Amino acid sequence: MNDVEAELRRALRPVEPPPGFAERVMRALPTQRPMAAVTPLPIARPTPPVNAWRRLSTPVALAASLVVAVLLGQHLAFERAQREQRAGLEASRELMQALRVTSQKLDAAYQAVQSAPAGAQEDEENRS
Amino acid sequence: MSREFPIPVSQHTAPLDMPSLLRRARSGDADAFEALVRTHQSSVFSIGYRMLNRRDLAEDLAQEVFLQLYRRLESIENFEHLGFWLRRVAANLAIDWLRRAAYGATQPLEAGAEVPAPQADEDPLLNRELSRMLGELSPAARAVMVLRYQEDCDVAEIATSLEMPVNTVKSHIKRSLTALRGKAIGARLITAEELP
Repeated sequence: MNDVEAELRRALRPVEPPPGFAERVMRALPTQRPMAAVTPLPIARPTPPVNAWRRLSTPVALAASLVVAVLLGQHLAFERAQREQRAGLEASRELMQALRVTSQKLDAAYQAVQSAPAGAQEDEENRS
Repeated sequence: MSREFPIPVSQHTAPLDMPSLLRRARSGDADAFEALVRTHQSSVFSIGYRMLNRRDLAEDLAQEVFLQLYRRLESIENFEHLGFWLRRVAANLAIDWLRRAAYGATQPLEAGAEVPAPQADEDPLLNRELSRMLGELSPAARAVMVLRYQEDCDVAEIATSLEMPVNTVKSHIKRSLTALRGKAIGARLITAEELP
């Protein structure tokens, strides 16, 4: 023998397993082979019948609340505009009244100056 | 997409009906799976036996390998991959068992261990001693030698199977052969003049 490798190959010839090995393997297998990458389907459960009103109540309530909120907002805005308009008219009326009174006073003063005697006017000028 | 596996063509050429056998086994055909077991049982059992040096442990190991195969059949791409997969799992499982149970490198060949019937041109005593000496190697080195000289795997496949660099595989082979030659000379099984 001049080759250990060749002897190793001979020494390491495959060995048969004991009789009945394959049968024992088959008996040891699990009854069901796990399948790879199988995603379980969701179980379909029967849904109880739902009253149509109960099903729609929430969206209807939301819509009604929205309408009420919009109308209320519009009403409040209208009220505020009315109030501001009334206040403006009142202020304008008072201003006109004040101007009218002032005008009357000025007229009276002018009349008084025009109707005064001439001597009184000269004394007044000398004093100043 | 099919991967390339470093399989020596001479030894692991698939019989013609093997692809269909694999397909049938995948689809749950128990007879087809049993046929696959019968086809590969000798190889898987032998790896376990050479590694663990006990027939009962080798049978347990081989059974565990085939159970793993049964669970992973979907991942086996083709017949060549099947052979590669079985050798890889058997060798690594044996290394794992050796390391965990600390059977150690000096586990003797069991009493009455089965040695294949000698052929006309071989020395049964030398065969037996070589098997015993192989049992004295480290688990990783033993796995390399079993895959190389029993399964006739090339260095690249051994490296892939045992997840070690090619140079480490070569180093294991070289050192193990040197050690085996040395022991064989020491035991006067061969003489120094017979070495190449």
